[in-house]
Amino acid sequence: MKRKAYGRDAGLTARMLLTSFLLGLLYVGFALVLFYVFNAGLVLMVVIVVGLAIFQYYTSDKLALAASGAKIVSPEEAPQLHAMVERLAAMAELQKPRVAIVDTPMPNAFATGRNQKHAVVAVTTGLWDRLDEREIEGVLAHELTHIANRDVLVMTIASFFATLAALLTRWGLYAGMFGGFGGSRDNNNNSVPVWLIVIAVSFVTYVLSWVLIRTISRYREYAADRGSALITGAPEYLMSALQKISSQMTLIPQRDLREVEGMSAFFIIPPSVKGSISELFMDHPPLEKRLAALEQIAREMGRPVS
Amino acid sequence: MGVRDVLFGRKKLKDPARERLFAMSTARITLESELDLKPAGAAGVCFKSLSAGEFVRAENDLQALLDGVASQSGSKVERHTDDMGFEWIVLRDGDFEDLVATVHTVAQEFQDRGFGSQLLAAIFPFNGKFKEGRMYWIYGFKRGAFWPFVPTGEDQQRDNAEELELKAKLEQELPIEPDLTRWFGLFNAPL
Repeated sequence: MKRKAYGRDAGLTARMLLTSFLLGLLYVGFALVLFYVFNAGLVLMVVIVVGLAIFQYYTSDKLALAASGAKIVSPEEAPQLHAMVERLAAMAELQKPRVAIVDTPMPNAFATGRNQKHAVVAVTTGLWDRLDEREIEGVLAHELTHIANRDVLVMTIASFFATLAALLTRWGLYAGMFGGFGGSRDNNNNSVPVWLIVIAVSFVTYVLSWVLIRTISRYREYAADRGSALITGAPEYLMSALQKISSQMTLIPQRDLREVEGMSAFFIIPPSVKGSISELFMDHPPLEKRLAALEQIAREMGRPVS
Repeated sequence: MGVRDVLFGRKKLKDPARERLFAMSTARITLESELDLKPAGAAGVCFKSLSAGEFVRAENDLQALLDGVASQSGSKVERHTDDMGFEWIVLRDGDFEDLVATVHTVAQEFQDRGFGSQLLAAIFPFNGKFKEGRMYWIYGFKRGAFWPFVPTGEDQQRDNAEELELKAKLEQELPIEPDLTRWFGLFNAPL
């Protein structure tokens, strides 16, 4: 389970969310096949689910980095960024995480890794170019709070129970229909519609729990916003960063028409498609609510509120 | 295009490009009366030159055509080559409708001779209360849509907030490029 991306953007968020959705689907599908084809028992099911959850948990950082196309950078390659992360990590009383850069003009950032030792903070080149230093600090502090809050662990546990719930539902149905597993399933003429019901129910369960997990994730976002405010002591910079990141402005290119003329590769993916995916699967709270929450924090801290 | 059009390979024709470009003539009234944006008395067409003989001939014919238009309407025609190696036809005329019409003539001439793909954009500067004193409406020939461009004057910086505001205000009247990722600027246009 990776940490989700920051802000509303087309490419990164969509890719990462799709990855996690498909990962989960794969997870259930795999268990399903094992269950029916090999007629495995419930205990074995649970063992497999736990095994997969552990595998996912231990490879979270690699999965997230691969899904987003982030590259780990050394202090020599990105001295300013490293210095910033180091300073903020010290303030958050965290070990300094590894630092990665995603080469995309969309401003975004994410953190991943199962614990402090394996943590990675990634920022996109778009974020680095478009935000000023204090705003980037606000965003990095938000991501560091995710690491400090062990959000990867939280989300892994959340999805573990969701997956288990889906499997149990199916097992319950199966047991109810046939009075136990194994049995004479193959001799029964009604087996095909029952199969379909079972698959439908498990899919609906899975989708619903996925929505629930997204809800948990939204609450973690508020927590990370608060953490960022506490670390930097200046929530207003995170607020302006959020506004910049989420505004349509970030879509408008900074390049000249004459520079991109002839670069047809630039237009391979229709941006409208990317946009619609991120709208559908938004897993962050609405901007207004986040800003309102941050304003409240700013007031509590006695900071000037615009 | 609906699903059925996709399935049966039907293709809806786009509005004639002519109408889309000419939307600028009417939008100008709103620009002037509601937003206090005045046409700067010029327009430019940016294109990529080709060394092919056919293209050179087309360019020469175009020049002759433009000279004819200029002497009739009293507008001035200039030619520039910019730093990035693109060619510009700059038209100067106090009458905005003449400017739009001439830009259309230029584009038509390119298209009729099969060089439509060499056309990059047309650009209409407007004077107003901006940091640099003016903004530009850029017309992309390929997509047949306009987008606003407000450079701040500092190296390749633009005022995106202002641009989005202009989009919101002119959406009803101008065919505005809906895909913001295509709103490329044209910095230091020789206008």
